[in-house]
Amino acid sequence: MLIATGLSKSYAGKVALHPLDLQIQPGEIFCLLGANGAGKTTTINLFLNFIQPSSGSAKIGGLDVTEEPLASKKLLAYIPEQVMLYKNLTGVENLEYFTSLAGGRHTPSELASFLDQAGLAGGDAGKRVGEYSKGMRQKVGIAIAIAKGARALLLDEPTSGLDPKASNEFSALLKQLSDSGAAILMATHDLFRAKETGTRVGIMKQGHLVATYATSELGHADLERIYLEHMHD
Amino acid sequence: MTMTLLIARKEFTEMLRDGRFRGAGAIVFTLLAGALLLGWQNHRDVSAQHRVAQEATRAQWLNQGKKNPHSAAHYGVYAFKPQAPLSLVDHGTDPYTGVAVWLEAHKQNEFKYRPAQDATAVQRFGELTGATVLQLLAPLLIVLLTFNAFSGERELGTLRQLFSLGVSPAQLSSGKALGVAAALGLWLAPAAILGSMAIAAASGQGEVMASAPRMIGMALSYLLYFGAFTGISLAVSAWAPSSRAALMILLGFWMMNGLIAPRVASDLAKTWKPSPSAFDFGQQMQLALAKGSDGHDPGARAKALEAGLRKKYKVDKAEALPVNLLGVRLQDSEDHGNEVFDQSYAALWENFAQQNRIHQMVAWAAPGLAMRSISMGFAGTDFPQHTHFAKAAEDYRRMIQRTMNDELTYQAPNTGAPYLAGNDLWKKVPPFEYTAPGAGWVAEQQAPSLGIVGMWFVGSAFLAAWSARRVRVA
Amino acid sequence: MLLSLMKYEWRNLNADRTPLTITLLLGVALAYGAWNGSQWVSFQRSTIQSALQEETERLRGVRNEIPKVDAGEIKVSPFTDPRLPQALGRGPGARYAVMPPSALGALAVGQSDLYPYYFKVTTGSKQTFLNSDEIENPVHLLAGRFDLAFVLLYLFPLVILACSYDLVSAEKEGGTLALALSQPITLSALTMAKVLPRVALVMTLAVLLPFAGVVLGGADLAADGAVERLLFWMAVTVAYGSFWFALAVAVNALGRSSATNAMALAGLWLLFVVVIPSVLNVAVKVAYPVPSRVELIQATRVAGDAATRQGAQLLARYLEDHPEMAPAERGGIPDFGTVQVAVSEATERAVQPVLDRFDAQVAGQQRIVDRFRFLSPAIVAQSAFNDLAGASAQRYSHFLAQADEYHRQWRGYFVPRILRKVKLSAADLDQLPTFRYREEDLSDVAGRLQIALLGLLIPTLLVVFLGWRWLGRYPIAGA
Repeated sequence: MLIATGLSKSYAGKVALHPLDLQIQPGEIFCLLGANGAGKTTTINLFLNFIQPSSGSAKIGGLDVTEEPLASKKLLAYIPEQVMLYKNLTGVENLEYFTSLAGGRHTPSELASFLDQAGLAGGDAGKRVGEYSKGMRQKVGIAIAIAKGARALLLDEPTSGLDPKASNEFSALLKQLSDSGAAILMATHDLFRAKETGTRVGIMKQGHLVATYATSELGHADLERIYLEHMHD
Repeated sequence: MTMTLLIARKEFTEMLRDGRFRGAGAIVFTLLAGALLLGWQNHRDVSAQHRVAQEATRAQWLNQGKKNPHSAAHYGVYAFKPQAPLSLVDHGTDPYTGVAVWLEAHKQNEFKYRPAQDATAVQRFGELTGATVLQLLAPLLIVLLTFNAFSGERELGTLRQLFSLGVSPAQLSSGKALGVAAALGLWLAPAAILGSMAIAAASGQGEVMASAPRMIGMALSYLLYFGAFTGISLAVSAWAPSSRAALMILLGFWMMNGLIAPRVASDLAKTWKPSPSAFDFGQQMQLALAKGSDGHDPGARAKALEAGLRKKYKVDKAEALPVNLLGVRLQDSEDHGNEVFDQSYAALWENFAQQNRIHQMVAWAAPGLAMRSISMGFAGTDFPQHTHFAKAAEDYRRMIQRTMNDELTYQAPNTGAPYLAGNDLWKKVPPFEYTAPGAGWVAEQQAPSLGIVGMWFVGSAFLAAWSARRVRVA
Repeated sequence: MLLSLMKYEWRNLNADRTPLTITLLLGVALAYGAWNGSQWVSFQRSTIQSALQEETERLRGVRNEIPKVDAGEIKVSPFTDPRLPQALGRGPGARYAVMPPSALGALAVGQSDLYPYYFKVTTGSKQTFLNSDEIENPVHLLAGRFDLAFVLLYLFPLVILACSYDLVSAEKEGGTLALALSQPITLSALTMAKVLPRVALVMTLAVLLPFAGVVLGGADLAADGAVERLLFWMAVTVAYGSFWFALAVAVNALGRSSATNAMALAGLWLLFVVVIPSVLNVAVKVAYPVPSRVELIQATRVAGDAATRQGAQLLARYLEDHPEMAPAERGGIPDFGTVQVAVSEATERAVQPVLDRFDAQVAGQQRIVDRFRFLSPAIVAQSAFNDLAGASAQRYSHFLAQADEYHRQWRGYFVPRILRKVKLSAADLDQLPTFRYREEDLSDVAGRLQIALLGLLIPTLLVVFLGWRWLGRYPIAGA
């Protein structure tokens, strides 16, 4: 579903991402691990077509994101570290706005059910977003993905700053989405959550994807070794 | 004090390294220098024209040949309004008041030919003069330099640092004000030197000393005004919730002060103290004049005058009078006319003065109005100085009339035979000399406006200090 | 889809009470401007009315006086005898040439406070009646008026910039831009959806409020071309507003912060509305300096002196040129009135070249302004507004030409009668030429306005194009 072929990006001679080859299938949760500046966000921005690749291509559902930016975006949902919403609108209104950007039309009860599925209770959904916690805004992000029926999810540090309870809830939601056939790419530096949530883990260092592991292969000792080897510059 | 200087130096260095400031400063300086240069050139040309014309009108008067004195009085002379040297900095109302007045018998004329009538509609956007740059652009530059003085440091987090090091809010705000002053001075000082040179060049010999106090008065007033703007900007920067809010508030104030207030003040003044239409003014004056005699047409008043004279000289026939009756009658009509003119123009000018007092009231809220008035005052281009000249010209006219009529009265035969005077009489009328009032007179006229700018300066300094003490650190 | 997005943008704006604030600010300013303009128009109307009333009363007085003079009841000198054409034409019989305010006069004061709108035409020379300036505190002329044109030229752009300087940058700073653009929508479409509700609101206010002002101000929309002028006015307003919206979008498209955008747009506003006009004003004066009118005064004086000195010869020469005007009986000393005719014509002829030089210089200035006004949409809009409200220098020249023509007619009536020493009767008063102002042809104005509209639309399209291209390169993420 998400395919990078020789995908690279450099800014004014400085390489942010060395040629990357990556395939993420439906039902997979691929966690990109790495220190700050390792190239995780660059990869996600490339899939979002927010920046232009220096070489190679990124495809979503077979569509090249630079050639068919709008069609490819119909398939994906994006949840940044901070899901920023319009403070003066309610959760429902924000959801309605962003899904109509995607061309969707939903009845109020449908919208409520999306939010409900994302774990936002009815009472909260009607409040203005200005009063939301970060976790609640994250849930609106998930609801957008659900409403769109997104088949690919791009997540950039979605759990950083969440308390453990909210993190667990979030992981559970991700699992549900992947079980329903979505391909998920999640950048994070939380090794332990990656092992718990992800199906595969990729380690990035200075713009290189240096290693990938299936989480089922990884034991706790491996985690510590990986951490010392790659995450600690 | 050293702490303040240290902060000032840091501000100064930072501004100098900011390309935006360098760009904006360079633009302001270029515009100011260009405006002064063009102002000087224009002043030189127009002054030369006025000088030539004043000499020519004198020559025409002297060489008008043999004439009846009253014909000469009708012929009259022109008075051309001289251009004050400092007008090259601020044209003030000069484009909207006439340049010359005809001094003739029977009539106090209006000034003719407003230079703005010979300009395109672009004139109404304003002229590029030193005053435009100093009153409109320089305050904007100050706003752009200072709007984030506090809020920027807060957003950057350096404000915590500073206060944790034991800097007091007063030191911080005075340091910042000093820094801005130094940075601004870097552009304005050369412009001021350039301007003084232009003014010195524009002032004829001996006039330089007369221009100097006006120049100093103007410069000091502008410094006060800039100081007030700096204080307000610092206060708003400390008090506003964010840099963006500070910028919006200050831009709004700048707009109100420089563009909206002058127009609103004019409208209020026109509404509360409406001036008459030129038509009504003329009609009223005609009506009042008709009550006297015009010297040509014997009426009741003339008969009474004649009776009085006969009584005075104890003769029973007009022909037996030792004075020329026509001369007496003409002077009588002048006297009556002068009363009417004094009343009419005094009323009109008082009306304008009342309107200008309304401007002053508005100036308490918008100090730009007060600064405009002060600047025009020291430049010699405000309305009070226009009327000062108009009065001098009118006095000269009356002197000519009296000289001519006295000649008729005491020299012309009382027989009705034609009487011709010549060059000797014309020479009795001295050339028209006008001395503009000194800087002291201007300062007195402008006292309320000076008070307003001074109050804003002091008030804004207090406001800046007060806001700095209560600034939120994070 | 665009529509539903706009609905959301509107809701978002409403949450800040932006529409309310804009409506209040712009509404109050526009209403105040319209009121001010209508005050000026009614001032002009009442002045014109008193002038015409004075004329009627004066002529009635003359009509009553003539039989009494005939009967010898009133003694008159040759200077005041109303039956003598040289006396009547110089004063008691004079009529006014009047230019009434135009149908849309209340919309812009423009140059109308600087130029006379009525002349008292006599047999005297042109210079004697041209200087009928309206009385006005010069400080007010300097400051200008708070009329609708001011609101539209100065404040309207500021309102536009204030509500759109952070159109895209706020979304970026708020973090919502990334989320929005991860949806299948382009930045251009999103920007369009954000800008259109603002355009709709601001333009509606700017177009409808002046319209309401004109109607409530009692403008005569039935007058010839009034409706067309009003439509043109609206078109210019919309075109001018579009330019500023386009500018705001283009500056946003460069991807800087909201604070930088605000400063840049404030700077551009200053550039277009204050700096370029005042620099252009100076530039035209340097290119075509109009000599001080002091020169004209001197020239008139010299010519007048020369003509007076030659008075009798001038008259003889004049009569040789116009034998048909010679008095029935030859000989005798020519009287003051007849000499005066020849003298004032000779003076006018001698001064004409100087006047032409002034006109040529001012025309030269106007040519430069016409060409370079396209540097600033504010100048283009100002001249268009002045034109539409009948407050332009062009309309004044149009009036001046008619007054000039009327002056010739007036003299054409009196001069032959002066020379032939005709005595006028009360019935002759009805034969005096009358003045009727003919309004500028709409087609003349329309020609100038079409150019003005182009001068607004072309820069707007250019800025739109640039903005659209820059939006395509917008840095959505990172550096």
